[in-house]
Amino acid sequence: MNQRLLHTPEGVRDIYGKEYAKKLAVENQLHELIAGYGYEDIQTPTFEYFDIFSKEIGTIPSKELYKFFDKEGNTLVLRPDFTPSMARCAAKYFMEEKHPIRFTYKGNTYTNTSNLQGKLKEVTQMGVELINDPSVEADAEMIALVVESLKSVGLREFQVSIGQVEYFKGLCQEAGLDEETEMDLRACISGKNFFAAQELLRDRKVSDPYREVLLKVADLFNSMTSLNDAKKLVHNERSLAAIERLEKLDAVLKLYGVDAYVSYDLGMLSKYNYYTGVIFKAYTFGVGNAIITGGRYNTLLSRFGKDAPAIGFAIVIDDLMEAMSRQKSEPETPQIEALTYDPEIPGDFEKALLLARSLREQGKRISLLAKGKDGKE
Amino acid sequence: MDSKFNDERYLTFALGKGRLANKTLDILEQIGITCEEMRDKSSRKLIFVNEELKMKFFLAKGPDVPTYVELGSADVGVVGYDTVLEENRNVYEVLDLGFGKCRMCVCGPASAKELLLHHERIRVASKYPNIAKDYFYNKKHQTVDIIKLNGSVELGPLVQLSDVIVDIVETGSTLKENGLEVLEEVCPLSARMIVNPVSMQMEKARIRDLVLRIREYLEKEK
Repeated sequence: MNQRLLHTPEGVRDIYGKEYAKKLAVENQLHELIAGYGYEDIQTPTFEYFDIFSKEIGTIPSKELYKFFDKEGNTLVLRPDFTPSMARCAAKYFMEEKHPIRFTYKGNTYTNTSNLQGKLKEVTQMGVELINDPSVEADAEMIALVVESLKSVGLREFQVSIGQVEYFKGLCQEAGLDEETEMDLRACISGKNFFAAQELLRDRKVSDPYREVLLKVADLFNSMTSLNDAKKLVHNERSLAAIERLEKLDAVLKLYGVDAYVSYDLGMLSKYNYYTGVIFKAYTFGVGNAIITGGRYNTLLSRFGKDAPAIGFAIVIDDLMEAMSRQKSEPETPQIEALTYDPEIPGDFEKALLLARSLREQGKRISLLAKGKDGKE
Repeated sequence: MDSKFNDERYLTFALGKGRLANKTLDILEQIGITCEEMRDKSSRKLIFVNEELKMKFFLAKGPDVPTYVELGSADVGVVGYDTVLEENRNVYEVLDLGFGKCRMCVCGPASAKELLLHHERIRVASKYPNIAKDYFYNKKHQTVDIIKLNGSVELGPLVQLSDVIVDIVETGSTLKENGLEVLEEVCPLSARMIVNPVSMQMEKARIRDLVLRIREYLEKEK
């Protein structure tokens, strides 16, 4: 046999047996929970036109997209995430809809990352999008779902960090930063790179009171976790409104009873322009990155022609599974029982078949096994 | 909230082998974090533990430190800024430790100066292809051919492998002895402390305390 045929490419893998059973169990559990909040399932194509995931809309750099051509020469892309597809669908099928739309999706996503870095190129994501609802209650529903999702699969030790990008934007506006500086600064701050931020502000000659405040946002260790402290630093309406929004959010989260898992971090920014309000990430031990990321993106849909607010998040299921296994939180998987019959005895198969049928009707998982075929006898 | 998870979890440090690690241990000792085991040169252990403080330390090759930290095998890493830039991993850079100061420079024979003034296509040899590429493409807007070497980069211009090199310059004596000089500075370098983003959230109190204490110590030393 040609052994080379047995390999899979780097970054993709087979999932089978017990591991897949666990993954499915977790997916089902999460799906049940999300469905309980009234989210409707939606399925979109695995590949779409390049423009859907292009720089202005997507979050993955173009060089990390799997691209190929169709027969007409259009560039197609294997989806790196779901949000742009969801926005496209909402705009296409619900153009006139004014009431909130709730989508949930699950599927595999693809990013063409470098080899030899220990990263998967194909992962399963599950997520939700809530469109047409700009309210703080919608924000809270997202955060509550994040917390409930992680709790439902048995994780105990996790943190949800919440930021508000408007705070930073207001601050940049107050300081009179040009767009390029703002973008560069955002990249520094989202990477928590205090030194680069310091240098950048010096290079671009940002004047002093603002430099200090902006650096405070970049500085993790005097970190802006107290909303009250953050409020005192700013004098512009945009930033103040951002804080006010978080204060309201906090009140609603208390009603949900999930506030204990939540902390605030106004230095949490996204490199990407598409978030417009709250953003959040969930962290837990055992994986090197956030397992859930999400946020409000009120302008993304207008790129597809529908002017509607939206908020959503995505769970990277593979990372979640890894965290669960490192934390020894094992999901329950259904047992498969073997029912043996003896082919030598006339009528034994028929008997076994009848029994198997009734057991299967009771919801049991039964495999039929001829005696002498289980390797033991 | 922050501390409730930390009862039995170790905080793991990845240190770049060599001078960097020794200097780091010096600083850590100054703020009361010791690791006797690690100072023992005869030990063949790979991981050293301070049970009292619930900390683990291991040594790794410099370029691997950001990898351990990004993937969460280490919570905290100490490594040269050159490595941080070259590897470009998803880690938080939280502290400039101030030692190991040197510069990343474009070097070559004096005659090569001319080649850097125009947007001419030239050959650049370096152990740091990513840094070289970023500097020439994004800062100087010059298209260049980059040749990755693994050491003795100064040879490049001497044997006509390349026009210039991008390398770390400490004293510049190797350059001088070989008739080369610094043509342009790319950036200053020093040792940095990096932190895994998840650890930063999950171990916020411990890491914050560590960084603030080191910061305070460095301020005092200045």
